[in-house]
Amino acid sequence: MKLSLPKRKSKQAEPAVADGDAEAAAAEPGPSRSEKRARKIAAGKHHSAEGGKDVAGWVDSRTNSTGIYTALLARHVPKGTNWFYTLGSATMFIFAMQAITGVFLAMYYTPSTTQAYASITHLTNDVFMGEFVRGMHKWGSSLMIILIFLHMGRTFFFGAYKYPRELNWVIGVVLLVLTTVMGLTGYLLPFDQRSLWATVVANNITASGPVVGPYLADFLRAGPEVGATTLSRFYALHMMLIPGLIAALIGAHLFLVVKLGTTAPPWVKATRPKGALGEETVPAGVPSPDDAEVPVGQAAASEPTPEETPVSEPAADPADAGGPDAGNAGEEPADPGAEPADDGEASA
Amino acid sequence: MNGREKEEYLREYEILKKKGKPFFPYAIMKDSVMMVIVVAVMIAMSVIMGAEQGPKADPTTTTYVPRPEWYFFYLFELLKVIKPPALVPLATIGIPTIAMVLLLLLPFYDRGPERIPWRRPIATITGILVIIAMAYLTFLGANAGSPTEIELETPAQFERGKQIVAETGCLACHSIGENGAHGGLGPDLTHIGSKIPPAAIKRSVEIGPGIMPSFRDLGEKDLNQVADYLSSLD
Repeated sequence: MKLSLPKRKSKQAEPAVADGDAEAAAAEPGPSRSEKRARKIAAGKHHSAEGGKDVAGWVDSRTNSTGIYTALLARHVPKGTNWFYTLGSATMFIFAMQAITGVFLAMYYTPSTTQAYASITHLTNDVFMGEFVRGMHKWGSSLMIILIFLHMGRTFFFGAYKYPRELNWVIGVVLLVLTTVMGLTGYLLPFDQRSLWATVVANNITASGPVVGPYLADFLRAGPEVGATTLSRFYALHMMLIPGLIAALIGAHLFLVVKLGTTAPPWVKATRPKGALGEETVPAGVPSPDDAEVPVGQAAASEPTPEETPVSEPAADPADAGGPDAGNAGEEPADPGAEPADDGEASA
Repeated sequence: MNGREKEEYLREYEILKKKGKPFFPYAIMKDSVMMVIVVAVMIAMSVIMGAEQGPKADPTTTTYVPRPEWYFFYLFELLKVIKPPALVPLATIGIPTIAMVLLLLLPFYDRGPERIPWRRPIATITGILVIIAMAYLTFLGANAGSPTEIELETPAQFERGKQIVAETGCLACHSIGENGAHGGLGPDLTHIGSKIPPAAIKRSVEIGPGIMPSFRDLGEKDLNQVADYLSSLD
């Protein structure tokens, strides 16, 4: 899906912003000023009468929220999309849950070797629903690992990492690594025996790595042995750096998902209409070299060239030439945010 | 994939997308149901298993057997599978790093146009083998049992001694019944009481013969309880 936001923005925003123009046009001999005013109110153009719509229009003209709505929600998912495709959003959702429960845990947690354990004891035993929230965070981390692996498994076995989604696979693998780093750094924070000694081992393992290993281990430990400095360092990594990176990369991941679209299950094939050319005889347009890069938007746009029209028969909507989302916009009911603009035109 | 295959894929994908349904509300409905399930599982796990606290961290105990979170078990078990000391860095860093790089670069060396799992047997079989290996190593790690737990039944008067043995980390080198390091550095203690007299057991724990560390720090009272417990194993 193409995120052609600026273009859409100009189309929809114009009439809404051109409030003054509409008034100027109507300032010809005809209805009196009060009549015009009444008509405007009826048409939903007046601030006090239809504030909601106006605010929507105001926001839309500045943010292009309807364009974003079309790009994000009205986009089509391919035929055959099934339950396997919910694993990614479930992983993202559990990340959000971890963030929320984590915020509440942070309200009671003290990242110091002398107080960390006691603050967890207090949280678990005294704070209202404290153990429940901590349990959700603790088991949520396991679930997140499970879900991210399942999501990766789906992507792998469906071949969804192939052209044109290679980059999204790379981002996903980085997200997997960051998620396990979250597990590792979070494990130390309760500061019980398991936490401490697992971290000591993890640090020793890091130190055994070639070249950067010892330096990285020194940086993480931040002292001669795992202790107070390590705890505050892991706390900062677990609370700020890594979640920030994960959130940013999820954003990039989603951007590419929306831009490129989700894959169909590989065994689902587009059925060709009667009389269409077989797969082998599909003319490929201009013969391109074997390793040629095909830009994602361009291939779809160049579709209805005279020689190859039969293939795209089901998509023979003239609006399609402009790219996938042009077609969608035509099929979907008019965007709610665009309505005031239409009314304005009618009254003008 | 060459240029022609890429174009063909995009064209086919456009058709599939045209035939598909809008993300809202169809796909989002499935996603929402999945999210509800995820939250329900989270809540159920939290309510049923809670969030218990282990004993407080104590950097002076050098005998605590560390155990990672379960999703690192496969890495941890890799360490046990690869025994020779010279190869340990290979297990700790080498294999995981190579696996990670291979995973990261997957789309750049697997460039074939085929996506159906059973028509690309190499990728599919490799994937399944990796999953089986990880599952097996995780299973091994999970069944290693808690290093601070001894399942062998004990008469009530020796419970305290058993607890100290478990918490002090004896099982890092020794084994008692099903638990502990089978084939580890130290001998099996399951029948130690019938082999060595109680006084000798106590002296061993106190002094630490050979490579075994001394446990004199436990104090006289705990030492006696440990010796009594171990002597009861016959």
